[in-house]
Amino acid sequence: MITVALPKGALLEDSIRLFQEIGLDFSALNDPKNRALQIVDPTNTARALLVRALDVPVYIEYGQAQMGIVGYDVLREKTPKVADLADLQFGYCRLSVAVTSDSRYERSLDLPAHTRVATKFVQCAREYFHELDLPMEIIPLYGSVELAPITGMSEAIVDLVSTGRTLHENGLVEIELLFESTAHLIAHPLSYRLNRGNLAHYCDTMRQTITEKVAT
Amino acid sequence: MTSTFMLHQAPAGARDWLPVEVMQKQWLSQKLEAVFSQWGYQQIITSTLEWVETLTAGGAIDPATVIPLQDGSEKPLGLRPEFTASIARASVTRMQETPLPQRLFYNGNVFRSSQEHHGEQMESYQAGVELIGATGVLADSEIILLLSDCLQAVGIEQWHLILGEAGLTRSLLAPFPENLREKVRYCIAHLDRVSLEQLPLSRELQERALLLFDLRGTPETVLEKVSQLKLDATGKNIVTNLKSLLNLLSETASFSLTLDLSLLQTIDYYTGIVFEVVAETERETCIIGQGGRYDQLLGLYHPQGENLPGIGFALNLEQLQTCLLRQQKLPETTPASDWLIIPENVAAQASALNYAQQLRENSPSLRVELALEETNASNIRNYAQQKGINRLAWLKADGNAVVEEVEG
Repeated sequence: MITVALPKGALLEDSIRLFQEIGLDFSALNDPKNRALQIVDPTNTARALLVRALDVPVYIEYGQAQMGIVGYDVLREKTPKVADLADLQFGYCRLSVAVTSDSRYERSLDLPAHTRVATKFVQCAREYFHELDLPMEIIPLYGSVELAPITGMSEAIVDLVSTGRTLHENGLVEIELLFESTAHLIAHPLSYRLNRGNLAHYCDTMRQTITEKVAT
Repeated sequence: MTSTFMLHQAPAGARDWLPVEVMQKQWLSQKLEAVFSQWGYQQIITSTLEWVETLTAGGAIDPATVIPLQDGSEKPLGLRPEFTASIARASVTRMQETPLPQRLFYNGNVFRSSQEHHGEQMESYQAGVELIGATGVLADSEIILLLSDCLQAVGIEQWHLILGEAGLTRSLLAPFPENLREKVRYCIAHLDRVSLEQLPLSRELQERALLLFDLRGTPETVLEKVSQLKLDATGKNIVTNLKSLLNLLSETASFSLTLDLSLLQTIDYYTGIVFEVVAETERETCIIGQGGRYDQLLGLYHPQGENLPGIGFALNLEQLQTCLLRQQKLPETTPASDWLIIPENVAAQASALNYAQQLRENSPSLRVELALEETNASNIRNYAQQKGINRLAWLKADGNAVVEEVEG
């Protein structure tokens, strides 16, 4: 039986729908009354694990799940050893640098060296500023990153933006883009090579479903 | 937070092997070494320390994975991360006069710096073989059959061979423009289809790249797909040899085999077949061994630059041990002593030592231990019970012994 890792949060609903389209029904996870963290689909062919987005590639890398859906942002942050099989074209967002709207900074290079930058994406932020040759003090946070510049803890943040509403409502503006992100289909490399539980078939079908959607 | 340097802990990524674990490891080593010997391989022990340059000469070892050592030598030293480089060096220098082929096996520790610091082991153990100076289908099958024999001897139940052909894959990659070939290779080796699709390739080449990305399965289906691709003369020749090898293997062994022409290391010294051995337990799938043919490596170490073909494999003993533990194949306790010899008082110490020695000499396989502390009989019986010792001998000064058998 193959095991699928699904991310809690924004990508969950679309992920469940996509698996439904390839014949694996995990919609029970969407039921607000559901508390189970793992379920088997009604046809008894696959199991789904409900985990935090950042943990999806971990379960895949260690092989406890063979197939999963995760944001490209997570792949960039964690650089897990997983097979990156398809861009699923949903869950669009972007990782951006933002500052308070009254600040005088208009691009990342305007930020003075050794500025404090708060973020959940410590690796991505570090890499980005390293490439710009800007030594920064990166402050790791786990949520409500927008508060860091509002309270004055940091000059800037590196955070995911989807519509930009949260930033706007908190008086912040995006000044530069690190990369854009969508949901990706990933798989455990060894299981993929060995085609355990007909994994390649499920991955192919899912990719085709997406290609057809984009074409229409 | 204060620094948490702990005098009483092994460093992260290092470990101690306690007696039970050592016994399991020896059980494994003895079985493997017996098979290596049966096939005519002889043990070689190479140096744990090498010049970093020696280790990285073949291009397959990333210098960042070598743990460096400082001792004031003129060039940097490092701990070996694998055996092949060391054996290649020894084989073409100090063993030059040995008739070919040389069949060598090793069993020892290797070191890898753990860059991610997730607590992966920096020191681990490998046992394996190198067959030097032999080329061709028969030599390749010897290595794979020997590998299969090893896994059977230790009792691994479910294993698969993922077999690739570095030469053939190289030849299949030849039509890609040089500036993109490395990227194509990287994407295929790392199963990164998304990046592969984004490379600026012509439609025809993109199709070829995607076909290569998924060029795996049963030998028949894969060879069928390959036969539809344009191949140069070298490529065709490799396909013919690969078919002979697969035929020979199917006539002599039965294990599950996936032919995977996308199996690549990004930088590698492999020139012919490459393979990974995968073991499956209920809970996980792990690589327990890997190997391949390297026909260009030995020339790098030969004083006159003369080249010799080579092929070998290494088994990862920790992974093997984990798999066997899950299958409950390994001994789970250390054997108890057979005798406990107790001097009744100080005057009886000499006769106790003599009595114990007599037992050992009469029967060399017996384990005989001495009670060292003067204490009462019930403490001694307690100790014997805890340690599972079934025979006690109470010694008097005159050399007489009262033997007591305890129910185990």
